[in-house]
Amino acid sequence: MTEGCVYDSDSGQLLTGSYMDYCMPRAADVPSFKLGFTCTPCPTNPLGMKGCGEAGAIASPAAVMNAVTDALGVRDVPMPASPHVVWKAMQPMKKAAE
Amino acid sequence: MENFAYHRPAKVADAVKAMKKAKDGKFLSGGHTLIPALKQGLANPTDLIDLSGLNKGGVKVGAKSVTVSAGTAHADVAADKGLKKAIPGVAILAGGIGDPHVRHRGTIGGSVANNDPAADYPSACLALGATIHTSERKIPAEKFFTGMFSTALKSSEVITAVEFPIPKKSGYAKFPNPASLYAMVGVFVAQMGDGSVRVAVTGAGPGVFRVPEMEAALAKNFSAKSLEGLSVKSKGLNSDMHASAEYRAHLIGVMARRAVTAAK
Ligand SMILES: Cc1cc2nc3c(=O)[nH]c(=O)nc-3n(C[C@H](O)[C@H](O)[C@H](O)COP(=O)(O)OP(=O)(O)OC[C@H]3O[C@@H](n4cnc5c(N)ncnc54)[C@H](O)[C@@H]3O)c2cc1C
Repeated sequence: MTEGCVYDSDSGQLLTGSYMDYCMPRAADVPSFKLGFTCTPCPTNPLGMKGCGEAGAIASPAAVMNAVTDALGVRDVPMPASPHVVWKAMQPMKKAAE
Repeated sequence: MENFAYHRPAKVADAVKAMKKAKDGKFLSGGHTLIPALKQGLANPTDLIDLSGLNKGGVKVGAKSVTVSAGTAHADVAADKGLKKAIPGVAILAGGIGDPHVRHRGTIGGSVANNDPAADYPSACLALGATIHTSERKIPAEKFFTGMFSTALKSSEVITAVEFPIPKKSGYAKFPNPASLYAMVGVFVAQMGDGSVRVAVTGAGPGVFRVPEMEAALAKNFSAKSLEGLSVKSKGLNSDMHASAEYRAHLIGVMARRAVTAAK
């Protein structure tokens, strides 16, 4: 919804080079969390440990973007779905309604 | 960051003197714009003249106007009971600047002197017809903001206070840039005692500007309904990675209606 890297198309310079331009979500931008644990220890080592990373992060952007496209009734919305991007996606519909 | 000489005068006259003596001096207030610029090497002054030692007047509510001394932090403006009653729009504006850290360090003098095209205060100054008091003179807001990051200030001139006339009603609505929290578009609406209305827009263009069509419509009937169908042309508005000029033009309409609805 907020995070996106923007590069200058001529120079390749990263434009979102600081948090004044790259919108890292703050506490006010995220819902409160409910934590759950699923424990299936690995049988092949004594500590039962497994490597794992960002499992939830794979599905959530797709779920959010599907919700956005569904709400707008369009096929595609580029990420991040910032207010500007959502407004832009709505313009053809507004024209069609007029 | 380069080395610099540090001064902390107790009197305005001494601050002016120190600046005149310095080869390439800079006044320092809350430091929320200047310190990052020093760190990045964007400003390399020979002398820093810290204004925090000057007598802090805070907010004074008079019969016809409210005077806010230059060193007053945004949080203190937002919390002032008298100002909240006299000019609610200014209190709302100050309470919506950046985040709590910024509001407790950043000052009205620094904000006005910097004239960032996305800063909030310039819109209140222009809409209310504020007067900028300096070490030498009083400058009306219309003459003070001269373009992107530029003002009518001379290099050794210190802002001492900003005086806002008390309107009948005032309101401010801002669409913040989600990352920086500065105004992507901010609209300040003021209805003065004589019924005239002024609408000032910040964040959308290279500098703060008024919208005469909206002012005329609101002078006839001060309601959000009067603004329906009125739009601002996107030509000349800012276009960047956060918002196109067309989106900013759209937001001016939305924020203006919200500001009128919120006006008290
Ligand atoms: C993360 C972040 C978010 C922010 N969000 C917003 C926002 O939403 N809206 C907004 O409006 N602002 C925002 N700001 C800016 C903030 O409001 C600062 O108050 C403002 O930029 C400068 O005020 P200062 O007191 O920090 O001034 P300083 O940084 O000390 O000075 C700024 C400039 O003004 C000059 N100056 C300062 N005082 C005087 C004086 N009395 N007379 C003459 N010249 C003077 C200095 O020489 C310098 O050039 C934000 C800043 C940050 C860091």
